[in-house]
Amino acid sequence: MKQLKSVLFASAALTLAALPAQAQNMPKRIGYVTNYATHEWYQNVIKGMQARAKELGIQFEVQDANLDIAKQVAAAEDFMAKGVDVLIVTPVNEEGVVPLLRQAKSNDTPVVLEGNPVKGMTTMVAICDYDTGYFSGVEAGKYAKEKLGGTAKVMNVGLPLLSATVLRSQGFMDGLKTIVPEAVMVHDLDGGGNPDRALEVSAAALAKNADINIIYGINDSSSLGGLQAWKAAGKSQDALLTVGTGGEGLAFINAMEKEPSYRIEAAMFPEKEGYTAIDAAVKLFNGEEVPEHIVSPTAPMIGEDWKKFYDYDASTRSIKWDAVNALKAPEKCMKTAADLK
Amino acid sequence: MSEIVHPSPARRLAGGRLLGSSQLVLAVILAALCIAISLAAPQFYSEANVIAILRQCALVLIVASGMTMLIITAEVDLSVGASLAFVGCIGMAVLNATHSLTLGILASLAFAGGVGLVNGLVVTRLKVNSLIGTIGMMMMLQGGVYLFTREAVQNHHQLSSFTGLGAGYVGPIPMPVIFAAAIFIIAYVTLRFTTLGRYLYAVGANEKAVRLSGLRSERLKLLAFVVTGLCVGIAGMILASLMNAGQPTAGRGFELTVIAAVILGGTSLLGGRGSLFGTLLGVLVLKVIDNGIIILGWNQDLQMVVPGVVIILASYLDIVRNKANVR
Repeated sequence: MKQLKSVLFASAALTLAALPAQAQNMPKRIGYVTNYATHEWYQNVIKGMQARAKELGIQFEVQDANLDIAKQVAAAEDFMAKGVDVLIVTPVNEEGVVPLLRQAKSNDTPVVLEGNPVKGMTTMVAICDYDTGYFSGVEAGKYAKEKLGGTAKVMNVGLPLLSATVLRSQGFMDGLKTIVPEAVMVHDLDGGGNPDRALEVSAAALAKNADINIIYGINDSSSLGGLQAWKAAGKSQDALLTVGTGGEGLAFINAMEKEPSYRIEAAMFPEKEGYTAIDAAVKLFNGEEVPEHIVSPTAPMIGEDWKKFYDYDASTRSIKWDAVNALKAPEKCMKTAADLK
Repeated sequence: MSEIVHPSPARRLAGGRLLGSSQLVLAVILAALCIAISLAAPQFYSEANVIAILRQCALVLIVASGMTMLIITAEVDLSVGASLAFVGCIGMAVLNATHSLTLGILASLAFAGGVGLVNGLVVTRLKVNSLIGTIGMMMMLQGGVYLFTREAVQNHHQLSSFTGLGAGYVGPIPMPVIFAAAIFIIAYVTLRFTTLGRYLYAVGANEKAVRLSGLRSERLKLLAFVVTGLCVGIAGMILASLMNAGQPTAGRGFELTVIAAVILGGTSLLGGRGSLFGTLLGVLVLKVIDNGIIILGWNQDLQMVVPGVVIILASYLDIVRNKANVR
């Protein structure tokens, strides 16, 4: 009898010890207010959140602010009124969300931000934009040394409006110069982040000076717009390298499969960012310490590398979680928006 | 709807002279722009840049040809940008499913023509102001395209004939320029030399008089809406070919560029007056400014500012011309 009691006691103790590791207190409901659900990036962020929430048995709801800060605040208030345990927000604009953070604090609702920092935030899940550009720049430099005779003349199809995209372009050039120190940016364009605008401005820039051998785009639409302008000008892709950023949808997979110059993609794994945001929400719910910036990993994918991270059946892609979860994110970014000021 | 009294032959002649002089002014502005930019940046008049400008003009000119007809009837269509994006997605999806360029083009034309037809019915049957009605259509299309596809529709068919629509050449001339020239000529001949063209002017100048003379003005307006839609169908397929994908985010602000070009070319928003030659000049001026800003390495934000200034100036010129006509 005494032996049986000891066994039962030991089993109970083991079970209790295992609890914190296996099953934190889980929030019942998490609400996410995205800023622009029609964009492929956010669609995949949402997919990642849904996958992780399902895995953890959390009820997950999404509302779209559709780039309207008033709508975003109203949606967040609705979520709080409905009693969500944690709120995740991708700010439409940084100032507009400050009062919302105050309101959430007085309501005891923890908030995780996705993508952009806001004054007074507890934590934010985001990639390092500069690092993403930098490491793809290093790979582009290696490619230029090996396949382009060591020269690197870049057309940057950028977006100067946003600090995140400026950091990507800066990082790309800095990374490229570590391998090809004499690399130059021939064109620094504002492609508006959308494909038709990128196509138009690239066409004009190439007409002015087509002596480039690398097209860099701050997102996939920009790099593809640049590449299409190159093709429309009747130029061969033989001595060209196209580098995209984001990997937010299917376009880059199609391009890497079919366009000979599209060899490098700075993948930002939006699904992983969503996944990480849910984990951060759980930690906040449990009152755990979290860093102000939780970095979501990125990686340059060269050639067929994308197959390590994604399955693709010609109409949809699905992430390979084991491969993406194995990526190590840096503790902190090499440069942030604060360094631009 | 326009209530302008149909001008007498003598006044029409005077108005015609004035219109001609406004086009002359536009032509002089265009020439001055070209010379100034060329002096500052000689690459401007390189063959590659001229081709790039013409290709950029092509899409706008195709839709502006239909829009000129529509604005001459005193109506406007603000849904052309949203329709352009949707057309590309539908065309690419049909091409992927059928591997037939003909079916892809037919589907695009049917969709875009259908959008034009609905716009026309809303305006002529339901008597909704075209500005409001087509804003409604724009919103429906902008939302609807995301119900159709959340992502860009990629090219899985790899038909070379499709690639040729946007990126192909006939000799040194890009295919989109050839399409634009053909559509421009058809529209020009229709407006200038046919009875239908005269009816379109008449509907815009004085719809009541047209009705009293036994013509069905609603049908003429409906036709102008459908023609504009069909032009969007053609432009949408060319854009999809140029981008090698159907992009739901394409065409933002496209309607404003098209309308700005038409108004700048001397077509009155009140209807009854305008010419396709003026529209051609308007398109060229806008696109030369756009191109010049990049060639000169100026801040690209000016590409947003300048068309805005141009729209205001063109509207003011329109008012001045109206006053001159009345005198």
